Amino acid sequence: MIMTAKDSWQGQPVARNRFLHGLFAGYLLLWGWLAIAPVDRGDWLLENVLAIALVASLVLSVRWFQFSNFSYFLITLFLAFHAIGAHYTYAKVPFGFYLQDAFNLSRNPFDRIVHFGYGFLLAYPIRELLMRLAGVRGWWSYYLPVSAAIAHGGLFEMIEAFAAQIVNPELGMAYLGTQGDEWDAQKDMAAALSGAILTMLCTLASSKFLPNRLAGALSS
Amino acid sequence: MLVRNRIVLLSLLGWFVVLSGWTAYAPADRQFWMLASILPTLLVFLLAVTHRTFPLSYASYFLITLFLTLHMIGVHYTYAQVPAGAWLDESMHFDRNHFDRLVHFSFGFLLAYPMEEGFRLLACTRGWLLYYLPVMTILGLSGLWEIIESWVARAVHPELGITYLGSQGDPWDAQKDMTAALYGALICMTLLIISRKWRGSSSASPAHGTVQMSS
Repeated sequence: MIMTAKDSWQGQPVARNRFLHGLFAGYLLLWGWLAIAPVDRGDWLLENVLAIALVASLVLSVRWFQFSNFSYFLITLFLAFHAIGAHYTYAKVPFGFYLQDAFNLSRNPFDRIVHFGYGFLLAYPIRELLMRLAGVRGWWSYYLPVSAAIAHGGLFEMIEAFAAQIVNPELGMAYLGTQGDEWDAQKDMAAALSGAILTMLCTLASSKFLPNRLAGALSS
Repeated sequence: MLVRNRIVLLSLLGWFVVLSGWTAYAPADRQFWMLASILPTLLVFLLAVTHRTFPLSYASYFLITLFLTLHMIGVHYTYAQVPAGAWLDESMHFDRNHFDRLVHFSFGFLLAYPMEEGFRLLACTRGWLLYYLPVMTILGLSGLWEIIESWVARAVHPELGITYLGSQGDPWDAQKDMTAALYGALICMTLLIISRKWRGSSSASPAHGTVQMSS
């Protein structure tokens, strides 16, 4: 469906959208810098397959479907976290070690944080996609992104499991990032689920208490 | 409501009650039976309460009953020890009892259509989303189920938890279970699309009685 300029979600057209240019340039710089010398090149490649596919499809689809600037901001934030995780192979992210020491955790929690971030940061873009492209309305627009977050989180765990079994098992274990926890998949999905629920509660609250003002300020 | 509707629904309900009674009589593990009967009971209660305001089609009620029947059989024998699964295991030389995987598959295969109906009538969903959402919901609920299973396994009773989880010592069990449900839902939706194309109608008629609901 082609969106008209009257669409309240949409920001400036891409050619004149300074915010979007800055966002894209910032992400490319960060990604390029982290691509120079990753801790494990093989794992870095494996982690980046889906990220590159996502960025490519966002860039190619912008002619037909342009998200609001706020959604692009959230997606970029998630991709930046993922780029950092891919650079350090998740289980070895320094910030994660710092958290592990500070809170006496048994493992590096960075990958769990990014799973949470997946639900927390992407639920809003998913909601926007559903509302604008599929005409989803009412409480469905809050429920379906949560359902989508857990479903695609589960799908990701399945792909991870297949990749780990098919590709080089040693690399697979690094990629999988279970860090020896048999409940890792369930905990990751629960993290994504709680992130999505939190975002939808925030969205609901902001649409009740801040009608259009914040959303308008962020998207234009 | 028509008398015929009432007879069909009451007989399905009767079947579930009788079946539950049968599985409650000397189950392999009483505590597991209690734990695993909570959700089916809630579902049946929900369907019974909503059958006037939101009637599903016979096909949906029948599919749901079929799924609950498979589940209650699994619950009676604590899944990993269902005779049919053990027989399959022996005849096909599997290394484990596959009855639970079969029920995960039928969760997708049998319940995707009732969900499609729910989205079609309750959320007035149209187009590609109508076929995508049931698959997504099946996958999401499967993931949620695996999460709840892992909580129960860790919290309630470690040794009962292993039975409840039914991983039978497979570290990839959760992922395989979700995959089975996903395949079931995909096959169901594919068959639905094919049958609708074949019959030349883009969307089937609503369930008995016209339902007009907005979300």
